[in-house]
Amino acid sequence: MAKSRSELGQIIHGVARDPLGLMGLIIVGTIVFCAVFAIWIVPYDPVAMNIKDRLQGPSAAHFLGTDQLGRDTFSRVVMGGQVALKVALPAVFGAMAIGLTLGMIAGYGPKWLDNLLMLFFDTIRSFPTVMFALAVVALVGPSLQTVVLVVMATSIPTYGRVARTQTLTLRNSEFILAERSMGASMKRILGVHMLPNIVGVLAVLAAMDIPTVIALEAGLSFLGLGVKPPTPSWGALLKDGYSLIRQTPWLVVGGGLPIILATLGFTFLGESLRDVVDPKLRKQR
Amino acid sequence: MSDTLLEIDRLSVDYETARGDLKALRDISFDVRKGEIVGIVGESGCGKSTLISSILRLTAPNTRFRQGEVRFKGEDLLQLPERKMRNLRGADISIVFQDPMQTHNPVLSIGQQMLDIQHRSKTSKPEKRTRAAKMLGAVGIPDPEARLDQFPHEFSGGMRQRIAIAMALMSEPDLLIADEPTTALDATLEVQIIERLQELQQEFDCAILFISHHLGVIAELCDRVVVMYAGAVVESGEVREIFHDPKHPYTRRLIDCDPGHIKERARVLPTIPGEVPDLANLPGGCIFRDRCDQAMARCASEVPPLAQLKEGHHAACWLNHKEAAE
Repeated sequence: MAKSRSELGQIIHGVARDPLGLMGLIIVGTIVFCAVFAIWIVPYDPVAMNIKDRLQGPSAAHFLGTDQLGRDTFSRVVMGGQVALKVALPAVFGAMAIGLTLGMIAGYGPKWLDNLLMLFFDTIRSFPTVMFALAVVALVGPSLQTVVLVVMATSIPTYGRVARTQTLTLRNSEFILAERSMGASMKRILGVHMLPNIVGVLAVLAAMDIPTVIALEAGLSFLGLGVKPPTPSWGALLKDGYSLIRQTPWLVVGGGLPIILATLGFTFLGESLRDVVDPKLRKQR
Repeated sequence: MSDTLLEIDRLSVDYETARGDLKALRDISFDVRKGEIVGIVGESGCGKSTLISSILRLTAPNTRFRQGEVRFKGEDLLQLPERKMRNLRGADISIVFQDPMQTHNPVLSIGQQMLDIQHRSKTSKPEKRTRAAKMLGAVGIPDPEARLDQFPHEFSGGMRQRIAIAMALMSEPDLLIADEPTTALDATLEVQIIERLQELQQEFDCAILFISHHLGVIAELCDRVVVMYAGAVVESGEVREIFHDPKHPYTRRLIDCDPGHIKERARVLPTIPGEVPDLANLPGGCIFRDRCDQAMARCASEVPPLAQLKEGHHAACWLNHKEAAE
């Protein structure tokens, strides 16, 4: 166990040495920190209304002003980050786990199973995400879980396809043949030898996918299909700010800036991670 | 029990292709005795690789075993259930592949891989690690304990091949198959690997089936040699016999083509004219007939049998027929 920790340390060290990676690390770290300790950070209850102080600009009392119901925007931005991660992380890791499993089965299993799974992937991919989300939300009503499920379902094929392609390339590689000639079982080949070769690629894909999912959640919330209204979300903030932009610009800033920062941060981190996890590149830096 | 370890008996293997059945191996028979090094020589496409994948039963899905047996310690491997076959691979029979740059998993350290292939052994992790380090030391990797934590790309080609040999010998197999283990390496490394194999063979007392198209290496290393041409055995016997008194025209030409045997300076290296016949549409008679300078009328009509000329020396050529009859 101590060994894998040092390996993780090595990866973090590698990312931190890259300026863009360091920036990504700082941004993502800040977002995660704020999300985890949100309840101690927020100065006000993010859903407490105070009609008296509505639509204020930035002040000492309200860091980013207040919205049309007098709720503190800064508190809502911080809590919104928590909501964004609550959607993005389970959706991306769920999709990655399922996509990886199905993709490896498709790549290593018999031809008919491969065809069946590919048909399944293509069917899902043929739905436009937003339309699919609209349909599901119309059916079961808007909630955090619905958003997670929709995002997960629509991103499984992406991971599945990458995992399948990697498995197909690997299964014909000489070291897998060598492994088979050493009497390794299918379980061992897939679990011990193929998985570490695939998981690195997928992890990078996941890191780059998180901003997409955050933006998607914001988009759905903007359309009123995401999380339910009193719950703060960056998308909902944007939506409120959009209709009130003539009265106060601060809601748009409060909703938009974190989305931009989160997208940039995760993308930088993902790209830097991609360079670092590749053991062939590790030596050269 | 006899001292025969591996016995290939009239093995014929086809590949089903769109053009029809490709007769990759026809009527192959030879054996490997315990602790012996047998070489298989032949040009590219003569079925060497098909032969070893047939022994290990790691063949492509379009492979069909038409006839014959592959007996290992008296048991026909072609009839063995997959589970039993898998337990044999890497334990009793193991293999070293041609390209050392490809045979290791690029994302796992050498140590992780060497520990992993000991999955059958019940020993503890530190014990397995010690054993892995000992094996690395045995193939001449300096500072093995520290190098276990390195990744394949941190080793040179020659080292990687030695590591592959260490891995193959880890389970102390009875039979080691070496599939052109030196082809991808340069000449100096080739000598190193060959010497190392010889030492290790003495130490572990395993039989080696050594596949190569380099006659010099075969002459250096092997006790006996099997010459293959277009999916059939054309000659087999003691190394000394084959090299000093080849009985098949193909063997003779092959030896003439070895640059090590050429005495005078030549602008053009000798070659055997012609091409290997199409294995999907085999011509009748002797397969080497079109390229043979001593072909006779009989060669076109009848396939020459692999006849015993002397104790342990066989050749498939009508030229020897009178000798063979005596």
